[in-house]
Amino acid sequence: MNRELKDLVHRHKEIAREEKEKNGRLVFGTLCSYVPVEILHAFDILPVRLWGDGKGHERADTLLPTYICPPARNIMAMGLAGDYDFLDGVIHSYTCDATCGLFNIWCRNLKPAFSFLLSPPYMNTDEAVAYCIAEFEALIAALEDYTRKRFSVERLQESINLYEAARERIGAIYQANRNGATVRYLDLYQMNLALQVLPIEIVAPFFDGYLSNIKPLAPRKNGKHRIMISGSVVSDPDILARIEELGGDIVVDDTCLGYRLVQQKILQREDPLSALAHYYLDRPPCSSRADFPARKGYIRETISDFDVNAVIFMHQKFCEPHLADHPFLKKALTEKGIPQVQLELEGEGLSGQIQTRLEGFFEMLEAG
Amino acid sequence: MMEQKKTRKRLQANTALRQIITDFYAEGHRVKAEGRPVIWIPPMNGLIELFYAMGITPVFPENWAPLCAAIGTSRKNFEYAAQRGFSGDLCGYFRNNVGYALDGIDEENQPLNGLPAPDFLISFGAGCIPTMKAFQVMCDHFKVPVFRADLPQVAMEKIEKRHIAYGVAQIKRLIRFLEDETGLKFDIDKLRQAVLHTNEACRLWDEIMALRSTVPSPFSAAEIGIMFVMVTRHGTEIAVNFLKDVLREVKEKVARGEGVIPHEKIRLFWDNIPLWYNMQLFNYFEKWDAVVVAETYTSAWSLRLNPDEPLESIAYKSLVSYPLVSCVSLNKRIELITKAVRDYKIDGAILHSNRSCRPISMGQMDIGRVLAEELSVPSVMFDGDHMDAEKFSMAQFQTRVDALMEMILEKKRAS
Repeated sequence: MNRELKDLVHRHKEIAREEKEKNGRLVFGTLCSYVPVEILHAFDILPVRLWGDGKGHERADTLLPTYICPPARNIMAMGLAGDYDFLDGVIHSYTCDATCGLFNIWCRNLKPAFSFLLSPPYMNTDEAVAYCIAEFEALIAALEDYTRKRFSVERLQESINLYEAARERIGAIYQANRNGATVRYLDLYQMNLALQVLPIEIVAPFFDGYLSNIKPLAPRKNGKHRIMISGSVVSDPDILARIEELGGDIVVDDTCLGYRLVQQKILQREDPLSALAHYYLDRPPCSSRADFPARKGYIRETISDFDVNAVIFMHQKFCEPHLADHPFLKKALTEKGIPQVQLELEGEGLSGQIQTRLEGFFEMLEAG
Repeated sequence: MMEQKKTRKRLQANTALRQIITDFYAEGHRVKAEGRPVIWIPPMNGLIELFYAMGITPVFPENWAPLCAAIGTSRKNFEYAAQRGFSGDLCGYFRNNVGYALDGIDEENQPLNGLPAPDFLISFGAGCIPTMKAFQVMCDHFKVPVFRADLPQVAMEKIEKRHIAYGVAQIKRLIRFLEDETGLKFDIDKLRQAVLHTNEACRLWDEIMALRSTVPSPFSAAEIGIMFVMVTRHGTEIAVNFLKDVLREVKEKVARGEGVIPHEKIRLFWDNIPLWYNMQLFNYFEKWDAVVVAETYTSAWSLRLNPDEPLESIAYKSLVSYPLVSCVSLNKRIELITKAVRDYKIDGAILHSNRSCRPISMGQMDIGRVLAEELSVPSVMFDGDHMDAEKFSMAQFQTRVDALMEMILEKKRAS
């Protein structure tokens, strides 16, 4: 079953194109997990996270400096190659500088019919929530104008329920993984990605199926090192697979697409926009939106909850938010006696250098 | 190889500027010694008027970085940052400021006596990532009260009432924090006065910059240091009085027809932050009778504030300060550059691809294309870093600039 989901994820651009051609749906690209996909869905727009494996970014050199992270360059290269020529629009929610620059350059050069930059607040006070709702309302007004459709609160609630149910399932699979069930992190990786790049209606049943087939105890996990991975965009399943081969059981993550997005529920409120604003502002923030206490809080709590005994930082080359956080988090881990290693991802997947670092790290863990 | 020519006299205002810089840092130490509060704030938060209005001395670590680069202490600060585990791929301002705040600040015999340690800090939610993160490092390091700021990133042309209203709400929260922590009282009339000073400084700034459209240009980008008052002394008469003197001097030069070089032939635009450790670079163009007459960076203060709405004014200033020069809106940036090219009669552009500033460097390929295709202005891009001399190659710079100059001269001859 996971093979099937993996195949769907692999074909996600094709599927989006079909949705557009056969069902007449608008398709919008998103650049960040802070884009409120529920609002797009309520307009019957298919949100597709722009996503690549970080490799093959040379084509972007005509538009981006080489000292921008590999995922941003890769996405731009795919755009220039026409891989996303089916998109009707692009939406971004300001997080890191590189993605904001990418959004601007994408819009200027590929000229999507619709584009929108959301400017969310950094805090989750009452004032911030009210402001965030106003930002969402501005997006809604722009979407009404573009689609010629009226916004419906009821439809938004239905969309929220759909996404909420899917996130809840993935959250439950994380919990099962935590408790030693027959879950592979590579499956979770595919599920997290599926949630971002495929129509929600297609992916949700897979999560139900996966959840019902989980066996509570996986003997193969005995004696494995319980690993947390941390970084921004992690798009290298070959590295994740190698971690497993070396004796690691990735039980949780701190990445753009992962546990941070699914660990808490969207609380029912009278106003669904308010519920949505709370979800995006209350969840553990990404490095680009967090201060150190929040980052330390999430890392420490998650390590404790998931009984993590080692952390692998997977940092994209030139990723300033995570590079700036790293010494601080490293210190926090050292204080807790948690071993860690940093991998620098240069868009080459499982390179020799990364292999060597991983092997050395696991040898160190084995030696205790 | 052409001989490098000597630049004509720098602006006399530089003498006064040196004193203003010295006084600014001395004031921080004096205030600290008197037991009055010093706050470290990010450069682009636009709220400096508030601090001056409340009698709180602001210190700008980011403004300290160019000084460190100019006087040569940044290398040591980079080493301190590296020893603490910070990557060499991080912005040079970040590495300098973090290295300085964590270790360099304890050194003896620092130029200008260094920075006085903060009594309060602003943890920044706004601006570029390196600035935000540098302040987070400082907040973690100095055990002092911290105000957590929140300013959304909005493209300048998209700023609406809701953004201003949220900015005002945050400023009111900051005022409560400062009143509680210092016991000082906020007086809106003092803020009005500070906003009035800033507005006048911005008006004078625009007038001074506009005079650079004169042929020959009265001064070059080598004088960019005058922006020190726009960063550190907004909200005060110091900036206004200094800029009045600069304006007078520049007007006199224009009246005399005195250019920064004797026989100006080529007028250049500079995109991105200068190399603070090598400001003489701007003199390199003189061997081609060329002058940098306009820059991206100097447009950051081309705004107007309304003293009748002081809170809204500084909220607006906060919102536009960063997006005005970064890539929050590439279209707006291109619009500003296009205008500058026309207003300043630009013949060519130098695009500094700056490893220390991704927000400004992203979009430069588009800018280069607009210059060439829409404005028929040739440009050249060189690799550099506004803080780190090791990431700049003089040979590459000279080769590329020389080629550009020859191209411009050829174009001029042909026309």
